[in-house]
Amino acid sequence: MPLLTRLGRTALDALRGTGALGLVVGRTVLALPKLERRELGRALVQFGYGSLPLALATAALAGIIVVLQSGIYVQRFGARAFLGWAAGYGVLWEFGPLLLGLIMSARLGARNAAELALMQVGGQIEGLRGIGLDPFAILVAPRVVAMEVSMLALSGVTFAVAILFESVAALLALGLPVRVFFGTFSQLLGPLDLLGGVVKTGIFGLAIALLSTTVGLSARGGAHAVGQAAANAVVRSCAAIFVLDFALTSLLAGWMG
Amino acid sequence: MSGVLSFFGAPVVMLARTVRASTRDGVPWRESLAQLHELGGRSVWLVMSGMAFFGAVLVTIANSQARRFVGNVAVLGPAYFELLIRELGPAVSALLTASRAGAAHAAELSTMSVNEQVEALEMSAGDPYADLVAPRVIAGVLGVPLLCTLGTIAATLSAAAVAQFAFGVDGRAFMDPRYVDGWDLLAAFLKAAGCGLYIPLAAAVAGLKARGGAEAVGEATTDGVVAASLGCLLIDLAVSLAFQLLRL
Repeated sequence: MPLLTRLGRTALDALRGTGALGLVVGRTVLALPKLERRELGRALVQFGYGSLPLALATAALAGIIVVLQSGIYVQRFGARAFLGWAAGYGVLWEFGPLLLGLIMSARLGARNAAELALMQVGGQIEGLRGIGLDPFAILVAPRVVAMEVSMLALSGVTFAVAILFESVAALLALGLPVRVFFGTFSQLLGPLDLLGGVVKTGIFGLAIALLSTTVGLSARGGAHAVGQAAANAVVRSCAAIFVLDFALTSLLAGWMG
Repeated sequence: MSGVLSFFGAPVVMLARTVRASTRDGVPWRESLAQLHELGGRSVWLVMSGMAFFGAVLVTIANSQARRFVGNVAVLGPAYFELLIRELGPAVSALLTASRAGAAHAAELSTMSVNEQVEALEMSAGDPYADLVAPRVIAGVLGVPLLCTLGTIAATLSAAAVAQFAFGVDGRAFMDPRYVDGWDLLAAFLKAAGCGLYIPLAAAVAGLKARGGAEAVGEATTDGVVAASLGCLLIDLAVSLAFQLLRL
């Protein structure tokens, strides 16, 4: 019965994971009013300011890649003037949020899970409980809030940088004047399109924060468990980002029609 | 500046050392097969399910683009299929592999170096580059193109299914290989193989320099994943740019 055993174990693991996630969400929401301010500030600097170089590099790469990609089929249909719209749409709706989410889950999700797993394995979280402090108010809630704020702020900056790099890449690779690029960009894209990307990034950030925290807090064992938790956090966040990406795209595309 | 230099330099040095060590000591083929199973078998579900969702997103985006622009979503199909084969299939599959395999390699290697198992290996006349890094590099170079192929197939199938059932377009007409030629396949293969070479090297650089306790393991894992993902994006960009400049 190896198949049945495996099936049952997978189902149990999934159930346990969902339960742990639910517990973390609930206790984080309860801990929100009394979250530790100093920890929040530290996490904001670490998550937001610390990720700025990586986010900007990703944005520049994403912008150039999207122009090279859409350039192929825009040229094929002889609709070069629409490149500004197509490339802007691609970055705002799809590649900006997706790439930012994947890179941030690698950097912040893994670090978050590793730190919490280290504290859990070292008994420091038990220690906090022992002296009557709520680890969710001190450790978890500030991280979740900081991650959310950082992702929202980073999304604005990175989208702007990505679009800037797109216009330059369009000029250099396809010989499209910057004025034409921004002409169709501003004509055919509304503020709702900008909002779509920011909403997506924000939800990805929430998923990364909650999943990595849950994985970190449920680490058990020795030093091996810390590396395992970091790796698991990245994998689960990536999987969640793809599933959420699909759900949000169909939802938002249907809603904005 | 030194950060940029070490980002590009360290994997090159690692590759040179690995090649030198494995020409001297030979490559452990059995271990390479085990690593291929580890990398492929464990990443295959993540890559395939991720790419299936990505394919569905691609059709949804094509549909909303088409409604504002050309009217009929089937017109965009062949161009989207070329895009998927040439750019998105290898790039997104490689990113997913980078997060799964990069994290696993960096965590394993850094645990070994923190526990001084790497030094123990050197003491017993083994070479960490030939015995630990080379099998992972071989597994990456062989495994990532395979994973990219599977991921692209999964994305194509789900895109065709979504086009058929959700938007009422003939799925086979949407995913039309009219524009795909040998150059597209070459670009896709170069990207996949480049990422496959780079992911294990970046993870090994981060993993083998870990010193300290459990904290160093977490740190090394993060560094390995970030370097692997960013490197994959850079490799994709370099290949796309080269093909664009050569007008292929």
